[in-house]
Order: sequence, then C-alpha cells, then structure tokens
Amino acid sequence: MVMLLDKITKSFPGVRALNNASISLAAGEIHALMGENGAGKSTLIKIITGIHRQDSGSMTLDGEEISLTSPREAIRLGITAVHQERNLIPRFSIAENILLEQLPTKNGLVDFGRANTEAREHLAKIGLDVDPAIEVRHLSVAQMQMVEIAKALSHKAKVLLLDEPTASLTSAETETLFKLVRQLKAEGTAIVFVSHKLEEVLSLCDRVTVLRDGETTLEGADMAGMTRQTLIEAMIGRAERIVAHRDPRPSQGDAKLEVRRLSTAAGHKDISFKLGRGEILGLYGLVGAGRTELARAMLGKDRITGGEVIIDGKPARIRSVEDAVKRHRIGYVSEDRKHEGVILDHPIRSNIAITVWSRIARALGFLTARDETAVAMPLSRQLEIRTPSLEQLVGNLSGGNQQKVSLSKWLAANADILIIDEPTVGIDIKAKAYFHELINDLADKGMSILLISSDMPEMVTLADRILVMHEFAIVSEYANDRRYENASRAIMSAIHAGREHSRAAAH
Amino acid sequence: MNRILSFAIRQQWSGILAGVIVGGIALSFATPQFLSEFNWFVMLRSICVSLLVAFSQMVMLGVGQMNLSVGALGGLVAIIVGGLMDAWGMPPLPAILIAIAAGGAAGFINGWLTVRTGINGFIVTLATASAFAGINTGITRAIPFYNLPPEFVAFGNGRLGPFPYLLIIPLIVTVLLAVFFSRVKTGRYMLAVGGNAHAAQLSGISVPRAIITAHVISGLTAAAAGVLAVAQLGSAQPSIGAEWLVISFAAPIIGGASLAGGSISILGTVIAVMLIGLIQNAMVLLAVDPYWVTFLLGALILTAVWINRYRAYRMGED
Amino acid sequence: MTSTDQVSSTHRPGTPAGLLTRGSTQFGLFVILFIMWVVFSSLAPGFLSRFNLNSVGRSVAIDIVVGFAQMVVLATGGMNLSVGAIGVCSVMTLGYLLQMLGLPIPVAILLTLGLGGVLGWLNGFAITRTGVNSFIVTLATASLFTGAMLIFSKGVPLNGLPPELGAFAKSAVGRVPSLAIVALGIGVALYVLFKHSVLGRQILAAGANPRAAEMSGVPVDRVIVFVHVLSGVLAAAAAIMLTAKNGAALPGGAGDDWLLPSFLAPVIGGTSLAGGLISVVGTIFGALLVSTIRSGLLVLQIGNFWLQLFLGIFLLCAILLERYRSALSVRAQTRAA
Repeated sequence: MVMLLDKITKSFPGVRALNNASISLAAGEIHALMGENGAGKSTLIKIITGIHRQDSGSMTLDGEEISLTSPREAIRLGITAVHQERNLIPRFSIAENILLEQLPTKNGLVDFGRANTEAREHLAKIGLDVDPAIEVRHLSVAQMQMVEIAKALSHKAKVLLLDEPTASLTSAETETLFKLVRQLKAEGTAIVFVSHKLEEVLSLCDRVTVLRDGETTLEGADMAGMTRQTLIEAMIGRAERIVAHRDPRPSQGDAKLEVRRLSTAAGHKDISFKLGRGEILGLYGLVGAGRTELARAMLGKDRITGGEVIIDGKPARIRSVEDAVKRHRIGYVSEDRKHEGVILDHPIRSNIAITVWSRIARALGFLTARDETAVAMPLSRQLEIRTPSLEQLVGNLSGGNQQKVSLSKWLAANADILIIDEPTVGIDIKAKAYFHELINDLADKGMSILLISSDMPEMVTLADRILVMHEFAIVSEYANDRRYENASRAIMSAIHAGREHSRAAAH
Repeated sequence: MNRILSFAIRQQWSGILAGVIVGGIALSFATPQFLSEFNWFVMLRSICVSLLVAFSQMVMLGVGQMNLSVGALGGLVAIIVGGLMDAWGMPPLPAILIAIAAGGAAGFINGWLTVRTGINGFIVTLATASAFAGINTGITRAIPFYNLPPEFVAFGNGRLGPFPYLLIIPLIVTVLLAVFFSRVKTGRYMLAVGGNAHAAQLSGISVPRAIITAHVISGLTAAAAGVLAVAQLGSAQPSIGAEWLVISFAAPIIGGASLAGGSISILGTVIAVMLIGLIQNAMVLLAVDPYWVTFLLGALILTAVWINRYRAYRMGED
Repeated sequence: MTSTDQVSSTHRPGTPAGLLTRGSTQFGLFVILFIMWVVFSSLAPGFLSRFNLNSVGRSVAIDIVVGFAQMVVLATGGMNLSVGAIGVCSVMTLGYLLQMLGLPIPVAILLTLGLGGVLGWLNGFAITRTGVNSFIVTLATASLFTGAMLIFSKGVPLNGLPPELGAFAKSAVGRVPSLAIVALGIGVALYVLFKHSVLGRQILAAGANPRAAEMSGVPVDRVIVFVHVLSGVLAAAAAIMLTAKNGAALPGGAGDDWLLPSFLAPVIGGTSLAGGLISVVGTIFGALLVSTIRSGLLVLQIGNFWLQLFLGIFLLCAILLERYRSALSVRAQTRAA
C-alpha cells in the first residue's frame, strides 16, 4: 500500500462533501476513482493533492501518517496530478510550463537552452510534436492537456492522479496516453484514474473506488469482477433504467424555431435544424463540439455571422441577450450554474424574478421584495424548492435546488423556447429524476426545448430527436426510439465518423 | 535587417517607438532648442525619476497586483534622505542606503499586510499611502530640507555632455530588472503568479512570497526614485511623489503591460517613459500651458489601452 | 438584491458569539461611532460645542455625497478614480456660470449637475465600449478632466459668487445644517433606488455576477454607463456643496483629496469592492466615522500628521474586523453542515 486515505470527512458551508470516504492506492496499479458530479470526487482529489485539508480522517504515505498543508508539499512527497481544468501560465513557453518549479540553471540564471532540450524529451515521451519554445496560449485545448500530462510526468512521482485526462483527446491520443500509463504502472507508480467514461475505466484500470453522495460505496474492488451495470449501480444507487417515459410526441404543426444555414463568430458554419412546439430536441456531442456556443449564439451572447433564425415563422434578429429574452422569449439554463445560472449572493426571490423585474414593476420602476415574492412563491412551490424562506441566499442551497431556481426564472418569464445545457450535472439522484420529469412536463405543456447533454442515458430518456454535433457542425440526426443500445451505438459511430473525417481533412 | 524589422513591428511597443521618433523629429524642426545639449540633459534627468517610478508599478503589474503608495512611499524616502543629511548631518552614502532600506521596509509592510490579512492590495496600499503621506507631513511640517551636502547636489547636477550622471542608476536598474524577469527564477515565479496564480500555486510556487517580493522591489525602486528626485531638485521637498501615481501606471500600460498580470515589457516601459518625457519637454519648449500635459497623459493612456485591446482582439487573443 | 441595510445572516445562533456575527456591519459601526463620541466629548468638551457640530455637519455632508459617488460604481464591481477630477471640474464650472455668466443659481446648479453627468457618461462609454478595466479608464479620465479644467480655468479661483449660495451652506433647519439635510435626502433617494427599483436591482445583479445577470436579460452595459453617469452627477453635487461651503470656487478644493475618502466611507460601511453589495446607511456611518475622527483629533489639537496616519491604519483595521466577523459566520455555517 503506497497511500491510504481513511475515513476522510470534509465539509464546506452548507454541505458535507465527504463523509468517511476511504481509498487505498497500491504501487504499480491503476486505480479508478468514479462517481457522479457532486459525489465528492473533486474534493477527494483536492485533499490528496494538498489543496484542501480534511476535517477528520487520516492520510498515510508509505506507512507514515502525513498531513498536507499545500500542493507544494504534496509534490515534494511525490504526489502529482493533472487536474481537470487547465493550469498553465499562458505567456510562458511549453518548456517553462513543464519545468516551472524545476527550471535548470547555469550560473544562477535560467538555462532556457537546456530547458527546451529537457522539455523536448518529455514531449517525445507522450508523443506531442511541438516546439517547446512556443507560448502555451497558442496551443489547442488538447495540446495544452498533453503539456500538463508531460508536466506531471516530469516529476517521477509515487502517486500520479489523472482527472478526466481524455476529455479533449482523440482516440489516437487516448491510446498513446494509455500506453504511457501502463508503462508507468510497470515502473511501480500508483495511478489514480478519474473518469466517467465507463468503457475506458473497464479496459484500463485494475481496481475501482466509487463515491456517491460523499461516501464510498465501492472501495478498491477488483475491476475484473465489474461490469457497466455494477459500476453504474454503485454510482447512482439503482440500476440504470431507460424508461420510454411516454409515447413519442405528435408533431404539432409548424416548427416553433427554425435555424437555416447559421454561422457564428464562434466557428459554426451552415447549421440547420428545426424545433417543433412541445418537442425536446437533443444536442449531443463531446466536449468542444460547439453545442454551448451554438446555444449562446441563439441567446444573443455570441455573434451570428450568417444564416437565419426563424421563430414562429418570422425571421428573428437577435442582437443581444436582452433581445432574445424579452422579445423572443428564449431562455437558457446554463451549464455553469454557479457562474451563469444564478447569483449566489442574492436571495431566491430576486433570482427568480430577475427576468421579469420590468414587467412586475409599478410606476417609475418601483418594485418591492413583496412583488418579487409574489412571482417567486408559486414557482418555488411548483418546483418544490426546499428552503425555509425565499430570502435565503441561493448560494446556501443544494445543487439541485440551485438548479431549480435557475430554471424557475425562465418559467417566470414565460419563455417558450428553452435551451437547457447539462441540467443535471452535480445533482443528486432524486433531484435528477425530478428534473427529467419536469422537463418532460414542460414539453407536454407546449414548451419547445433544446436539450444539451453529455449524459447518454439522460439524452435517450428525454429527447424526441437527437442531433449529433462534432467540431461545430451537425454530423447526424437520430430519431430517438428510446432504446439505449441502439441510440448509443448510432450516436457514437456518428461521432467516430466525424472524427475520422476531420482527421482525414487535416492531412 | 529584415528579421529585426519584422521582430520590431510585432512588438507592442513599436507604435510608441514610432511616436517617439516622429515626435522627436517634429520637435527638432519646431524649435531649435530641442536639440541643445542642455535641453537633453534636463529631459533625460526627469526621465530618470519617471523611469524608476514606472518600474516600481511595473513590478506590481507583473505579479498581478498594484501599489497605490508609490508616490507616498517615494516621497517619504525623499524626506528621510533629505532629513538625514540636513537635520542629522549624515554624509550622503549612508543616508542614501538607510533611506533605500526604509523604502524596502515600507514595501515589505505593504506586501505583508496584503498577504497576511487577505485584504485587497488596492485597499491596503491606499491605506498605507495615506499613512506614509501622514508621516511625511509630520516630519517636515511642510518645510523642505534645503541643507544638503554639496557633493550630493553636485552629483545631481553633474553631466557628461547631455547625459546626467544620475542616468547611471536607472540604466543599472533597467538591466537588473531585465535580467531578473527573463532569467532569474524568482522573477519568472513572479510572472507565473501574475499569469495564473492558481496554476503557480499548484506547481508549488509560493504566491505570498512572490507578492511580498514584488512589493519589496516596488518599494526599493520607488525609494530610488525618491532619492534621485531630491538630487535632481537639490532639496527634499515634501511634495515629491505627489504626482507619481498616474505616471506609475501610465508608462507600463502604454508600454504594453496587462492589468490582469503576468505580462510586462521593460523595453516598452522605457519607451513609454521616453514618450511622456518628450511630451513634457515639448510643452515647456513650445511654452504651452503645462496643464496640457495632464490632459494629454490621460488621453495617451486611453489611446494606448484601446489600441492594445484592439490589437489583441484582432489577433484573437481575447 | 442584497443591501446590508438589514440583518445580514439568515441563521439564528443563540450564543453571544452569535450576536457578534449576526449583528450587521452598520450596527457595529454605530456602536463604534457612539463610543468615539463619548470618548472625544469627555476628553475635550469643545467637541460637542455648537460650532464644532455645525462644522462637522457641513463637511461630513460633503464626504457622504462623495462616498455615494464611489458607492454607486462599486455596486457594479468597478471603481471611479475620477470622482475628484469631476468634482474639480464641477466646482470651476459652477463658479464660471455664476460669476462670469451671471446665471441664476438654480440654472447654474442644474447645468453643473449636467456636466457631472456628461463626464460620468464619458467614463461609462469608454469602459463599456472598449472593454477596458474601469480602474485604468477612470485613472486616465481623471488626468484628462483635471487637465482640461486647469487649461480652461488657469487655476484661478473665483471668489465673486452670489452670497445666497454661501448663506444656504451656513443655514440650518433647527440644529441640523442644510447641507446635511441635502446629503441625507440624496441618501434616501439612493436607498429607494437600490432597494425598491428595477434599475437598482439590475445594478446589484450586474455587480454580483455580471455573467448571470446578462444571461438573465439584464442590460449590463447600459447599467454600467448609468452608474457612471450617476456617479458623475453625485460628484458634481458634492462639488456644489463644497463650493457653497467655501463661498468660492477653488481649483485646489476637491481633486486628489477626495480619492481616499470616496473609498473609505463605502468600504468601512460594508460596501463590497467586488460588487453586488452596497449599504447607503453604512456609507453615511463610514463618512461620519471619518469626520468624527478628524474633528476629534482637531479639537484635541493633535495635528494633521496623526490624522492621515491614523486614517490609513484605521481603514485597515476596520476591514480586518469585518473579515474576521464574516469568517466567524462562515465557520458557524460549516459546522452546522
């Protein structure tokens, strides 16, 4: 046993992130760490890497109890990580980023020549062929991730933690990474592989620990005995069930929203699709496919450079978010709940009424808390928002309730086109099921919904049709028969075809 | 030659360099006095102080912070060095060393307070600026120190052709800072913190240490500016430093520094200071209302920043 | 919307420590203020003299409005470093309109307020159009405005103002100076704006989370321009009050002198530098606190030297105390989880 975390508990204001969670890492082993978003994975990772201190519970490294006070100390003890978000210095070169705290010197001054040479070696190991003197800000997201991996590997660590490392990688790059990881395993490194991609985990990892709601539901189980189903069950607490929730919705006349040959400043070209009244249209794709960017363009946040948007049969000029919201009744439930969906420091009633302040105001824009509450109360009851009072600051609510607030404001605004972006990320099981019911309900009542989700089961449960996006283009459309295997296969092969296509085009 | 030219054009300071050159040429046609040795001496001497003031803030911008006490700190050091020589009869060298050390200590206080209390550096240095200015008033009671050792004043007035003896100091500082930020680990760490403090921290770089170091360097350079100002004026005026705040930001930013942190240009700052010095000199020579300088400075900052943003937008860096 | 003009915490701890964390910033300020008044008046009986109270009342009125001018911009998470410059421009403009052009006082006042608004609009326009940080823009416009003012006025003070202006400043309603009433009136208007109007809520939303506000249909750019216009008008108002109090238009009056107080009053009073959280009452108390200290030290015949030093230290301590308080309440919330 190289590293052992035993009965770790950690709380933050208003939420207990980890409750007696444990994980044990052995040398020369690839250990999967799994769990839904909000299950406590990232908190555990931050404790392992010294960013946070646990409230209670012990950490042992090589048999000795340790207490990490900073990331620097973790590195010193041989614990390195490649985190989910990019942690690079934009204006520094690749070499300098890789060797940041271990730059070679000559006569007291940094020796960039040697740094570049060393960096080239590290880059070669992971198969990234770029000039190490280039500033990192000029690289693509995938390349940046590779640089970070090279950086972590440069430390010859005892414990290497990889958090969603393949999120932006192509299948070839993923293979290279896996080869590398297996080699490290052979050299005796303890590797923690955090991923929600079940197939990867099943093929690569030796043992698995699963977190759910801050607790360990599966600890160090042998991967040999695991299947997709058992892993999912450990993560969500019940077997994965795809229920054809309802009969396919009848198409209701003309399209509510039609997009024709749309191109945007973000990079979309020639996007066309239709969204009917009361229909749920799914938008599936990998990270970086351009789905959120498309949503933002339709919301007026990003610029539309060509093509048309037609709402209720009439061309719509969307010049600003205010335009989209007030004139065209488009709503957007953001994937980034905390930074775009709600205002954490403000009370619930304001967060819900924000879209209709002008409408509920009396003369001269005068408006009281009671006016807001009048609007917010029925919605908070309808959506069953758990709170002692609407004065409660949204930041104090659970993830699920925050998301309900984020959605309510669009109901308050009587939006009839709703773009929902990753609705159940970081939300517990019960709330997730609730949201699915809610979304279906809204569609039944006639709302036109564009659903963006990377959660395949969720997509198959909810969507009437599924558009598959890849690299800012729509590569295929799938009429959802609500059979998971079929849908999943069709979608994944469409994405695969898209990748091959763009790789061929690049040569 | 082509390589040098294309390199220069790509730099952010190419625009202001062009401005300096064109302005200089225009001015030499407009008034013959411009090219006189004495005029250059005066211009270069004021640039000496401005450059150190600019560096004082540039260092802070590099680490992603700001120091609003640059003027008050420099002014206080000016009074200290003047007071030590006048009231206590100390010879110049020890007085200067003590005063500069005081500046470094003041910078350390700024840094320590910012890091330890977690209060925004803006507020901390706003408060210490007030404190330093208060101490300044308390010591001088608004009366300058006039009795300075003749060798000190002579050095301040001395020159080799158009080049003031004082120029040596900012030149040395320029070289030191250039090496520090490009080749010394501590300097690189500071820029890393400015570029992405979180990433720097995860790599094991001590963010608090970087911030405190930046404040100390800022204090030392502001102190040097204060001492030079006294040498330039020939007396320690309590008003030294009062106008430094705007220039301390204007020059680095016009020179291409980013307010967000982690991106500074020593060469750009130098050229920007030259531009500002040129404008001030032009005002005097052309007998234009000196108030125009204040006005133009503001306009210059706005123009420069807008151009920088536009350029970044065009290159898709936003 | 969040204004701390109400008890801040939403949980109810029953302990004495709980009282400390639960009490709002404004209440704490009020207590400190009260203590200071007791201390100063016992050390120097002249402190409570009519003369002293009147002069404190007048200068604090101006400080309050200057604090307001900064507060409204802080609400959006920005700052306005040109408050003093707009003030100086307004002072000289008012002087010019009254003395040189001989305009009636109400007209001159309206035009001056308009100027403040226009200058503020320039700030807002530059900030939203170029996307440049408000710190840099207002630092630059401060130079711009001050330079322009000096060019036009040549730094010459204007002493020949109509006596009615100075008389108004000296007047009082009962024991309360008229200027103080003006300041309080402005305070009431701002309070209503932020607590009970759509615009006020939009401002606070844009300050607390501009991305979320924009995605919810709040016209963030328009809001930012508005607060800068308002800031300019308030700076002009303070300048008018200052001119009235001085009885003359002095170019050396406002300017850099206003920079520290403009931040001090709101920040001590609980307005957040990050945006989204303001306190009208707190700004008033903050300005009162600064004026109290200044006047107290003056009456005790401790020089200007101590004042500046003390103010600087005091600002730091006040903020430290506030952070400590909020850290305590965060810890309590964490324990409850």
